[in-house]
Amino acid sequence: MFDDIAAVRRGLGEAQYIASEEIGTVVFLAERLCKPILAEGPAGVGKTELAKAWAAAGERPLIRLQCYEGLDESKALYEWEYAKQMLYTQLLRDTLAGTLAGAPTLADAARRLAEEEDVFFSENFLLPRPLLAALMADVPVVLLIDEIDRADVEFEAFLLEILSDFQVSIPELGTVQARHHPMVLLTSNNTRELSEALKRRCLYLYVDYPDLEAELEIVRLKVPGIRPELARQAVTFVQQLRQMDLRKVPSISETLDWARALIALNADTIEPGMLRNTLNVLLKYEADLAKALRMMAPPPRDPGRGRREGYGRSNN
Amino acid sequence: MDDRITEFVRGLRAAGVRVSVAETSDAMRATEAVGVGNRERFQRALRASLVKAAGDFTAFDKLFPLYFGSGGKPLQNALEDLDPDDQDLVRAALAALSGRLQQLLDWLTGGDGPTKEELEEMARRAGRDRATNPGQALWITRRMLHEMGFGHLEDLLAELRERLAAAGMSQKAIGDLMGVIEANREALAEQLAAQIGLDVARQRAERPRDLDAGGDLMHTPLEDLGPLEAEALRREVRRLVALLRSRAALRQKRAKAGRVDPRRTLRANLRYGGVPMEIRHRRRRLKPRLALICDVSTSMRPVAEFMLRLIYELQDQVARARSFAFNDDMQEISPAMDGRNAADAVAEVLYAIPPGYYATDLGGSLETFYHAYLDAVDSRTTVIVLGDGRNNHRDPRTDLVRGLRRRGKRLVWLNPEPPAQWGSGDSDMLSYAPLCDVVYPVRDLAQLSAAVDRLLAGG
Repeated sequence: MFDDIAAVRRGLGEAQYIASEEIGTVVFLAERLCKPILAEGPAGVGKTELAKAWAAAGERPLIRLQCYEGLDESKALYEWEYAKQMLYTQLLRDTLAGTLAGAPTLADAARRLAEEEDVFFSENFLLPRPLLAALMADVPVVLLIDEIDRADVEFEAFLLEILSDFQVSIPELGTVQARHHPMVLLTSNNTRELSEALKRRCLYLYVDYPDLEAELEIVRLKVPGIRPELARQAVTFVQQLRQMDLRKVPSISETLDWARALIALNADTIEPGMLRNTLNVLLKYEADLAKALRMMAPPPRDPGRGRREGYGRSNN
Repeated sequence: MDDRITEFVRGLRAAGVRVSVAETSDAMRATEAVGVGNRERFQRALRASLVKAAGDFTAFDKLFPLYFGSGGKPLQNALEDLDPDDQDLVRAALAALSGRLQQLLDWLTGGDGPTKEELEEMARRAGRDRATNPGQALWITRRMLHEMGFGHLEDLLAELRERLAAAGMSQKAIGDLMGVIEANREALAEQLAAQIGLDVARQRAERPRDLDAGGDLMHTPLEDLGPLEAEALRREVRRLVALLRSRAALRQKRAKAGRVDPRRTLRANLRYGGVPMEIRHRRRRLKPRLALICDVSTSMRPVAEFMLRLIYELQDQVARARSFAFNDDMQEISPAMDGRNAADAVAEVLYAIPPGYYATDLGGSLETFYHAYLDAVDSRTTVIVLGDGRNNHRDPRTDLVRGLRRRGKRLVWLNPEPPAQWGSGDSDMLSYAPLCDVVYPVRDLAQLSAAVDRLLAGG
């Protein structure tokens, strides 16, 4: 438990995550109010990283549930371990025979068997999936529900019970109440609108691309070997790219990859040749690459002629 | 503080942000947790618990200073810091200005602004009581400043400066005096803007919901909806889609049980020696794939915005949906429709495809679709055409429509015209209608929601 917002930011910082004042506030509130956080924002701005850092800062285990289309309760919550149940039945056959031996009628035998049924539907044979694991954990955990927008709407509805009461019902066992309130972080890349009911239960955090100085700080933290001038040059360039109208603008993780690539190539400064060779680390679409290269190229002296020449060359 | 938050929430709701009661109580707990000492923290805590969509941040940030602002800087006394001789000089000079804008000068030099009653009276005269639109607040503030005499203040201050200089006051003392007056002037304007902004926001929150989108709107023909009703209409579409969304989810859930699949059950249970421990059902019904084709020609223009909004929501809802629009030629609009905000997406499409008189070419557009975008249609796709089937007497190309029907799973046509008008004038609807699996006339919202509901149900 953190005492104040500054402590949250410090804790996250020690876990190698640079948290803005806003992120610090929301995480602090989530802990105080025991409410889940819904983090939205473009892909690759560190929403998932936040969960990892949060777990590390509070020294809690991290349990992660990756969402995808078709994810259902049995994969997210629990499954009965049929194979183990079968195996036990086989191994316990003799004991079972003993239990059933004295039964005068079939009905009596069935009744005796029914009395032992609980053995097979106990927590021994329960295979907890991330959600149940988070509820049943002996220590408080951080539960990351990643990319909730990819899951189906019905799964979202199913999450509601867990997020508001921190309990689930398992028909064979009854209701499982969380031993500790898990800290929940849901992330969404905004590919579809989430339901109002889900949003209502969460604190909302919008994570956007960081500004120049913040991103520079991240690069320095995560790629310690980089020279300061090179880092500034690289981040400035990435920030310029984000201003452009691209199909997919580079994310922070791509900035970091690029910075590492520049170090690996022993770059002192970003000159056009180097840029052209490494640009595909940042941009993943052919059209974006072409656009970025056009932006970098010095403007032709005679625009009309230059263009015609350009076309000619590309045809050859 | 709790009252203030409740009032603020009402202001937010009036500005179109959805805030529930539960969220309001969360906000109170949240602000309690961070305290009120730090204004920025307080703002962030409030925002995280009240606003759940990045698009609503602007509305929040605009309203916040109105409700939780300091109300502008306080005025200072301009005479205090001067030595007694200079004070006398200034008083004499002020008196010599023969009472022009006396009151304003008193406010600016004395350090006390206008009283609450004076302000109230001025605001009333400037027409504040009728204002419910945030844009009007600015205008009213300006009017009040003008009435106070801000327009003539420049000349007056220049005159004051001259008189003081003539009376022998030092340049530095005059500079200081003017500096304070200038600061007071800004502070007064700021206070006024804050007060009026809050008043207007409050009035907006108090105003009864205009045009409650009830049954009336549901049954008004789409093209008769004027710009005034457009906002209510948009609200209604949002509500409609939220409704459809949950209904669609329910349908898919029911479809999950269903018939047992013996082959998959056998295979899954081999490890239990063939004893069927796990029952496998037939695969869940495939999710719909949609190809949406929207007519944005002149005849459809009145309802086009509405149709495009619907497409936007459908595309958001159905993972595999591609959308197209045409006037004289077919264009794919899926990328635009993937944008964050419905209004922007619709505006972008309508701008990209301008209306042209007698330019509609349904047949030609279908041909382009057939050649360029046929990959959008496969045996699982439902093709939905939103249009009136008016073709400028060009070739209707019914062969292409027949082809689409054969290739796709279903062909559905939504037509905003009543069936009686089909076939009149340049409408080719009567030749298209028999080729479709189903044609829904969508005169109004009620018919439209029924049609979309049946669509999502696979009907």
